[in-house]
Amino acid sequence: MIGIEHYLAVAATLFVIGIFGLFLNRKNVIILLMSIELMLLAVNINLVSFSHYLGDLVGQVFTLFVLTVAAAEAAIGLAILVCFFRVRGTIDVEDVNVMKG
Amino acid sequence: MTVAAFVFYVFAVTVLLGGLMTVVSRNPVHSVLWLILTFIASAGLFVLLGAEFVAMLLMIVYVGAVAVLFLFVVMMLDIDFAQLRAEMSKYLPLALLIGVIILMELAMAFGVWDFSDGFATRIAAPTGEAQNTAALGLLIYDQYIMLFQLAGLILLVAMIGAIVLTLRHRKDVKRQNPVAQMHRDPAKAMELKDVKPGQGL
Amino acid sequence: MISADIQTVLPEIVLALFAMAALLGVVYGGKDRLAGRLTSLTGLVLALIALWIAYTGEGTRTAFGGSFNDDGFARFAKVTVLLSAAAVLLMSRDYMQRRGLLRFEYPVLVALSVVGMMVMVSAGDLMVLYMGLELQSLALYVIAALRRDSAKSTEAGLKYFVLGALSSGLLLYGASLTYGFAGTTLFSGIIEAASDDISLGLLFGLVFLISGVAFKVSAAPFHMWTPDVYEGSPTPVTAFFATAPKVAAMALFARIIHDAFGGIVGEWQQIIAFLSVLSMFLGAVAAIGQTNIKRLMAYSSIAHMGFALMGLAAGSVLGVQAMLIYMAIYVTMNIGTFAFILSMEKDGRPVVEISALNMYSKREPLRALAMLVLLFSLAGVPPMVGFFGKFYVLRAAYDAGLAWLAVAGVIASVIGAYYYLRIVFVMYFGKESEALDGAMPVFQWLMLMGSAAAMVVGVVNLFGIEPLAAAAAATLVN
Repeated sequence: MIGIEHYLAVAATLFVIGIFGLFLNRKNVIILLMSIELMLLAVNINLVSFSHYLGDLVGQVFTLFVLTVAAAEAAIGLAILVCFFRVRGTIDVEDVNVMKG
Repeated sequence: MTVAAFVFYVFAVTVLLGGLMTVVSRNPVHSVLWLILTFIASAGLFVLLGAEFVAMLLMIVYVGAVAVLFLFVVMMLDIDFAQLRAEMSKYLPLALLIGVIILMELAMAFGVWDFSDGFATRIAAPTGEAQNTAALGLLIYDQYIMLFQLAGLILLVAMIGAIVLTLRHRKDVKRQNPVAQMHRDPAKAMELKDVKPGQGL
Repeated sequence: MISADIQTVLPEIVLALFAMAALLGVVYGGKDRLAGRLTSLTGLVLALIALWIAYTGEGTRTAFGGSFNDDGFARFAKVTVLLSAAAVLLMSRDYMQRRGLLRFEYPVLVALSVVGMMVMVSAGDLMVLYMGLELQSLALYVIAALRRDSAKSTEAGLKYFVLGALSSGLLLYGASLTYGFAGTTLFSGIIEAASDDISLGLLFGLVFLISGVAFKVSAAPFHMWTPDVYEGSPTPVTAFFATAPKVAAMALFARIIHDAFGGIVGEWQQIIAFLSVLSMFLGAVAAIGQTNIKRLMAYSSIAHMGFALMGLAAGSVLGVQAMLIYMAIYVTMNIGTFAFILSMEKDGRPVVEISALNMYSKREPLRALAMLVLLFSLAGVPPMVGFFGKFYVLRAAYDAGLAWLAVAGVIASVIGAYYYLRIVFVMYFGKESEALDGAMPVFQWLMLMGSAAAMVVGVVNLFGIEPLAAAAAATLVN
């Protein structure tokens, strides 16, 4: 029998892969956005497995809203990225000459 | 090992492999494809957990729209990715270290997940006999109607945002104006002059 | 049943409907030509809704099964948010119009983000909290990148977006663990579940939730986006970022830790005290070398958030009251200061260098005096209202047995005073140099003078916000 801990472990690992991706791809914004999507997916796996093992549908409702927001977030993120690319001709966030960190 | 357990392990390994390859692959197009694999495998996990509607939504919205949007942007922007990747190895040890530490901590926490005492009394929407999609529909259109409306506002903001940031009316392109074309009057548009030879106008 | 629910969320509904109607009307009625008028109208509507909430709201009501609270605390935060957003909109019209930055989407997005903030501060459920927060954040990401032809502005938007999305992810992960432990997303259920002995899982949930919100209030060590976003965004947008969202995020912070985790004060008190100390010192020290006044204000806001968090760290009614008073004063000071920064220009171009203020007092004695008052107040120099804000949080921390935190706060405010006083020094005793020109539009002038006057006159009784904040805090902490 698969226990909830198995699902939580998958979600936790995926979440860490997402954070790992953020650090690893600090220069490439598109992969940064994908890493954020992975983090949100990990949250969704958490929510759905809690929903199953608690016997409560609210977790799935939460997942629905997280999915909606994540889609909106991806749209805005890509729009800002396209803008940035048009002005700068690169998507390298580390290449910041305009402002000093 | 039961069939369910076997299927779980297949999907779980695929999710993790896909996730890892998404963040480490050299070509962003490959990244998007790995991301799609991750989504499909996690939809499989959701089906195992009895959340069919969310699983289908993940396939339709994520694989069908969001991932394709990513792919579209990757292809549209002409980016020299080889150069971006050159410095990747610089951060690798640090990122690995942080990842391992967080993972260890989370593993400690989840060794055995304990629910709070008497959580059953706090359940808001117990899973009943009703079919998953119907039950979710009843919840979001009734009990969570405010959240549903807020989700609408969020999508509206996303729409306004995408338009305000990327829509451009290019000045250097001639556009057709059908109304003006139809209302064109030859009598006004043209004037005939009788030019005498050698004099000009 | 549903009509009572709708009654409770009526202000939010009205504002959302206004934003949508305005969007439709302007898209079909003339687009950017109407942008100026729409900005003023939106400011007016926000102010009217603030008055409506302030004068008609009473008692404590919940709606939608307890997931939305309309209590004194929410109303105090909403009125502060609405009034500051209205003030920023009214004073940004002229600045943005003259630089061709004003697009009709700007007031619409501000209005929608204010809807998100109002939902956030009323949240009684993790899902409502998340949706409100995202509605606010998504609108703010777009506003930060509004000047889409400028490398700085788009870069600010991109940085803000990436770090904001990361913080939402952290917060959400925390929310999912909390849900898994408690079996409910309602705060009323979570506080029941998280009363005495808690599991490691819930503790992780709490830590992730707090770090997610700490990003939103730009508390150190989650502050790194603040200076770049403040510098890169158009100045009126920076003024907006420095005021309304900060109040909303701080109120949200208070709501999570008291409404949902009020039973385990000991678990979060140390975390918040740590965030507070770090923010106060980082804000004070890092601001010293800044030459750009917008970056300086960013570090200043980090330090101020540290002080407001000190109130929360106290974990008492007095602490929440001190936090609310502090935020109200902070917002007033910041609106005045940004009105001044908006007027800094030379040959029609905005100037943000502090050195440009050399001998400003000679040319514009009245404005320089107002700025002097505001800077003294920001630094917390005793006769000004800003001092009382600091006094309340220090007292709350001391009463809660966090004497070391109060002492650290005093030291940090002394260090922080240096860079505010440096600007005063430049204005009054600096070298003679090229002068700033540019007249001050009437709204900006009114905001500057009004907020400076408030810093002096408010000494009498803080305009009576003290009992209001006390009543508001009492509805939150019980």
